[in-house]
Amino acid sequence: MKVSITFDRLRWEEKALKDAAGSVGLQAELVDVKGLVFEVPKRPAELADLALQRCISHYRSLLVSQAMEGAGVHVINSYAVAEVCSNKLATSIALAKAGVPTPRTFLTLTSDAVEPAAEKLGFPLVLKPFTGSWGRMVTIVRDKETLQSLIEYKEELANPLEHMYYMQEFIKRPPRDIRAIVAGDAIVACVHRYAPPGEWRTNIARGGTSKAFKPDAELKETVLKAAEAVGGGVLGVDAMESSSGYMVHAVNNTVEFKGAQSAVDFDIPARIMHYVARSAKR
Amino acid sequence: MNASCTECGAGIAVPEDAIVGEIISCKDCSSEYEVAEISNGSVMLKPAEQVGEDWGE
Repeated sequence: MKVSITFDRLRWEEKALKDAAGSVGLQAELVDVKGLVFEVPKRPAELADLALQRCISHYRSLLVSQAMEGAGVHVINSYAVAEVCSNKLATSIALAKAGVPTPRTFLTLTSDAVEPAAEKLGFPLVLKPFTGSWGRMVTIVRDKETLQSLIEYKEELANPLEHMYYMQEFIKRPPRDIRAIVAGDAIVACVHRYAPPGEWRTNIARGGTSKAFKPDAELKETVLKAAEAVGGGVLGVDAMESSSGYMVHAVNNTVEFKGAQSAVDFDIPARIMHYVARSAKR
Repeated sequence: MNASCTECGAGIAVPEDAIVGEIISCKDCSSEYEVAEISNGSVMLKPAEQVGEDWGE
């Protein structure tokens, strides 16, 4: 069966996924979405009936998933999953409703409402953009004065989304978090991500490093429940070790696994493509 | 395959197994290029997209 691996920036991951396709009986082709023309709702000739969507741009990812599904393409992950994962508010709602432990989260629709929310959360708190990745603009706010300054800066920005606020409690954790790569109902790989010197964020994109470990039963259950809560597929579930157990703080729709691959001795892309092949047969 | 950096003029050696869409960096100035076309053993590069605010996982 043919599968299109759709991308807008060709990374090691996409090439590795293509190389792994043959081992599970799939014929993969890399398709650069930047050149695609959709005559809605038709399927561009470059696309197969099955697509593994790997765009690095959030908006391209959403729109191309929607357009492909509209054209009858089976997209992994589905548009619905992409939508939940790419919006931190939607992710928080999905996790909370499914009973997955996640940090206390507050939303305010104006800057005026931030202070009462901050009083409920207490300091330090974590201020995050609604969309975004790689830890970009995720900020620890240690006191009221810093929060007020940040609000002033954000209110000057043109994007209206910057004038609404998503805040979470700061979880005391070791200087590492957990990245679990999930494909369907299986955990493909699990690594601890360690923050680089002088940084609290553990993202590999920020210089974090990975070390593989075997998840215990509690973590397995939490991770798989989180993946199911957002709709399932090929996902990167990020969790923390808190004093009250594991807490999930993000689920990534276009999981990067180069860092995790360097920490394990098995083939992550082959395991992901195995899931893609199984999904296609359903 | 050989190309040159439009930013600093240095030569860029593009690996023979490079494919269209792949990102190639200039070793001298770190400018990034995307492989736009490969034909008859010659390669054409175009400036790669800059990191966008909406990029990520």
